[in-house]
Amino acid sequence: MNKILKLTVVLFLICAVVAAVLGGVNEVTKGPIETQQREKTETAYKAVLPNADSFTELDRSSYADLKTIDKISAADNGAGHVVETTFSGAQGSITMAVGVDENYRCAGISIIKHSETSGLGEVAASASARGESFRSSFIGKDESISINDIDAITGATITSKAVTGAVAASIEAVKALG
Amino acid sequence: MNIKKQFSEGLVTNNPVLVQQIGMCATMAITTSLFNGLGMGLSVLIILTCCNVVVSLIRKIIPEEIRLAIFVVVIAGFVTIVDLLLQAFIPALSAALGVFIPLIVVNCIIIGRAEAFCQKNTVGASFFDGVFQGLGYTVVLLIMSIVRELLGKGTFGGGLIDVSNGLRFTLDGSGAGIKIFSGEYGAKILTMPFGGFLTLGVLIAAMQYALKRSAKKKELAAKAEAEKKEVTE
Repeated sequence: MNKILKLTVVLFLICAVVAAVLGGVNEVTKGPIETQQREKTETAYKAVLPNADSFTELDRSSYADLKTIDKISAADNGAGHVVETTFSGAQGSITMAVGVDENYRCAGISIIKHSETSGLGEVAASASARGESFRSSFIGKDESISINDIDAITGATITSKAVTGAVAASIEAVKALG
Repeated sequence: MNIKKQFSEGLVTNNPVLVQQIGMCATMAITTSLFNGLGMGLSVLIILTCCNVVVSLIRKIIPEEIRLAIFVVVIAGFVTIVDLLLQAFIPALSAALGVFIPLIVVNCIIIGRAEAFCQKNTVGASFFDGVFQGLGYTVVLLIMSIVRELLGKGTFGGGLIDVSNGLRFTLDGSGAGIKIFSGEYGAKILTMPFGGFLTLGVLIAAMQYALKRSAKKKELAAKAEAEKKEVTE
């Protein structure tokens, strides 16, 4: 009995020390991390909606029934909306930001997270010239977009189709906001 | 304490990946570019050294029965600290290494060294053990990254070196690397996890061959020495 008590106390003390240190580090880093994250989101959003200045996130209840939409933010100067959406790709889920301008046309897309096949579907998110031309082929399209309207990637039909579908769904979601 | 012996153990004769064969999961998963390999290697080196020092400091007050639980708490603590500091002050590196940092918690090199070395040795010896084992790990990651990146994508130094506007080093992982041949002709399979198994398997085989050979050489030399002695006597 005594032994168990001793083990518990030692483990508790060590955990308490580690927790205290972590709390301290967290206090110091909380501010900088928050600023970094806000800046990162702003830059990412501006890349897909170049005419916007700053953004305000909309209340989830205005699009609660749209399961694939994570977040919708409106540009404060009325340049349009940025939709963050997560959908199924060829290998796993893809998270993407879609800029929708005030005429409900795609202003740009950016793939935030994906696990597509290296060298095939991965091209859609890559910084290469091919990736750029794939992403920029969405600019100016409306919600009736299909895979024939874009510069689809060879060998990655599923990824190309998934991205096209998500862009259409995002534009529809913004339209539904009114 | 024998620093020279610890050095050769960490890098060659008791290399964590090639000889002890621990921590192989992350090794195969992340070695797709030089930037990833170097970042992961250095992160492990720092965390391993910190954990080694702390574990050897508290080795006398740790009860035998719950030592593993305590090691895990210490390791997880350091990994979280490094993760938070990177996020706050070097966000570019943190973004590039994103998933790999939390993965270090389950990297068995660190718990392996705590268990096999630090709980029996002094703080100084544990410190050097951390540095040298970490270096041994980093070297293996670098070799694997270079081989897989070159044969799989046809580039060298992906993420770390950019040559589009003259040679410069990119610490945010944005550089495309030096192009050796067009990526279309690369063996794509090497950039996938399967290629990790292949590369690691070949490396381990080469290492075992080299170790066996040097052991045999030593044996032969010792035999020759003994015979010489016999003759002269």
